[in-house]
Amino acid sequence: MTDKVKVKVNRRRFLATAGAAIAAPYFIPSRVFSAPGRPGANERVRVALIGAGGRGRSLIKEMDKSQIGHEAEMAAVCDVDEKRLAAGLADCDPGVMPYRDYRYILERKDIDAVIIGTPDHWHAVHVVHAAEAGKHIYCEKPACCTIEEGRAMVKAVNKNKVACQIGSQGRSQPEAYLAHRYLVNGNIGHISKVWCFHYASPADNNPVPDSDPPPELDWDLWLGPLRWRPYNQRYLPGTFRWMMESGGGQIRDRGAHVMSCAMYWMGADGAGPVEVEATNVEFPRKGVWDACINMTVTYTFKNPDWTLIWDQKGAQFNPDAPRGEKRADSEEVISRPGYGAIYHGDKGTFTHWGGDGGTWAERKCREWVPPADHKEVYKSPGHMEDWFEGIKTGAKTIMNIEAATGVANLCILGNLSALLGRKLKWDQAKMEIVGDEEARRLMGRPQRHPYHL
Amino acid sequence: MSGNRWKAAAAVAATAVLSGRSRAAESAAAEELITKIRDKNDKVRAEAMLGAGKVGAPAVKPLADVMATADDFEVARAARRAMWQITHTVGRPDADDERKAAVAALIPLAGGSLPVNVRREVLWMISELAGDEAVEPVAAVLKEKELREDARMVLQRLPGDKSLAALKAGLDAAPEDFKPNIAESLRARGVEVSGIPDEKMIPRKKTELKALSPDEAAKAAEEAKKAKVSRRKGKKQ
Repeated sequence: MTDKVKVKVNRRRFLATAGAAIAAPYFIPSRVFSAPGRPGANERVRVALIGAGGRGRSLIKEMDKSQIGHEAEMAAVCDVDEKRLAAGLADCDPGVMPYRDYRYILERKDIDAVIIGTPDHWHAVHVVHAAEAGKHIYCEKPACCTIEEGRAMVKAVNKNKVACQIGSQGRSQPEAYLAHRYLVNGNIGHISKVWCFHYASPADNNPVPDSDPPPELDWDLWLGPLRWRPYNQRYLPGTFRWMMESGGGQIRDRGAHVMSCAMYWMGADGAGPVEVEATNVEFPRKGVWDACINMTVTYTFKNPDWTLIWDQKGAQFNPDAPRGEKRADSEEVISRPGYGAIYHGDKGTFTHWGGDGGTWAERKCREWVPPADHKEVYKSPGHMEDWFEGIKTGAKTIMNIEAATGVANLCILGNLSALLGRKLKWDQAKMEIVGDEEARRLMGRPQRHPYHL
Repeated sequence: MSGNRWKAAAAVAATAVLSGRSRAAESAAAEELITKIRDKNDKVRAEAMLGAGKVGAPAVKPLADVMATADDFEVARAARRAMWQITHTVGRPDADDERKAAVAALIPLAGGSLPVNVRREVLWMISELAGDEAVEPVAAVLKEKELREDARMVLQRLPGDKSLAALKAGLDAAPEDFKPNIAESLRARGVEVSGIPDEKMIPRKKTELKALSPDEAAKAAEEAKKAKVSRRKGKKQ
């Protein structure tokens, strides 16, 4: 059975007949039967997808395959590219409504939740607007592109009491739980340094001039909050990751995974560095991609004192990093050994690879048998499942908006230090850069009307 | 001439000579930068672009001219990025004189005769570096349809009462279709604006596509299945 058929079989549950399918926008919202904003335990959550590119559509498939697949119903799909929208629609059951403008989805009272798989520069606006419309939110990582966006997201999510999960799903992986438990129980002692390794961001070796956008693409909506610029083929799809203003390069793309694990396992969600310094920075020589190719960013934390390092270099592998570990035949192979982290404690080290949809912990951690009096840590039932738990009970999600914007801030500050070529001082309590007027102005970014927070 | 007066005059003359030499050196550095930015070799351009920060204000106008006139789009990009490199370098906390000089070089370009794409970049450079001195020239751009949205966002970012006053005045003077934009900037700056609704949640753009009928959905599923099989075969080959 293909993924496609599986998805359709599962979603068909919400549309028993073709007639009902056409009436989808007029369904009675599930919240009618339960507490305000929270579907009851036995009610399905009506979900819309915003951003039907590769990742967005994967998220819907992941949701469908997860343990909560039977609790979800697809109601709408949105994309600013008509071809992608058609492809997203083809994944769904009859009657699922297509939209170009996500705000039609936010207007629909029968939709409980949105899954956001848009380019990063849209995340904050989508999350804030969805929260203001009372929708529960699953949004791809990184949470935000500026410090100001992060603040607005936290405020909107908390004010409107919606469940928000950001897609740093490494925290929810089975071996992430083992790693967390291993570290919290002091197996490598006091940890003073976490070295996150990753390979370089790509350079565009075949730049092209600006041109007219393809007819299927609404370029104005794709740009959204970003300041106006002409279309260039190198901006999308997927390659927005290599633009500083949108994806921010590997540090924001994978940093939002690997550093997410670090902050969680170190018990540092809610904490922040006092200083951030990017060194060994290499920018692209040409093209429109402007995210750093190589960079080493050092984050200095105080009380407790420790150092977090993001080290991005090398074509396929960071040359200083360990390239995976041989696993038993019965174990899943490490399919992404090109990134991860080494934790340095006063009694030893611990290594993990991946940190996103695949997280693989070093053998000694997997084989560690906890004593009876060990400290237990939260074991996520799965990232989507954890989100649904938040929707149904109001429980805080594992990658909640405060934690997610905290991790995104690290990525943002690293890029800012690289861009400005200087060390930055950070006040975590005030959530602001100190003593550098230009850097302070770059904590926010005025947005185009009407695509603003 | 008394001894002291003579010493003072000599000091002024020496400063003038030094300042002349310094200007000549600055001018030579800017010329060298421009030559390298125009080079056909991207390695040479990249080296120049990344080192542009130390050349500073004297290179701003020549780089903007390159950006405006270069036939090679990569040369124009290198010029743009060199201007940004200068912006980020002179904005450092201990470089107030350099920052002021760069702002003084940027401001005339914002309202000048350069192409819109160059002026747009200049406006955003100003947004990172400038203070009150830039408010009036930026506010003047609010009258230009192609650049008014950028000027509005730049005024939003420029700190202080003067930029806020310029936004308020801009709201009064703006045509009806632009008032909501300026109102948004004022709201972002903490000003309550009545009579102009916030439009951020109003949907505007409709798709041509419709929800699939059961037959269409079945057909789409079949096509997707075929495409997947075809992709798998392609991978095996």
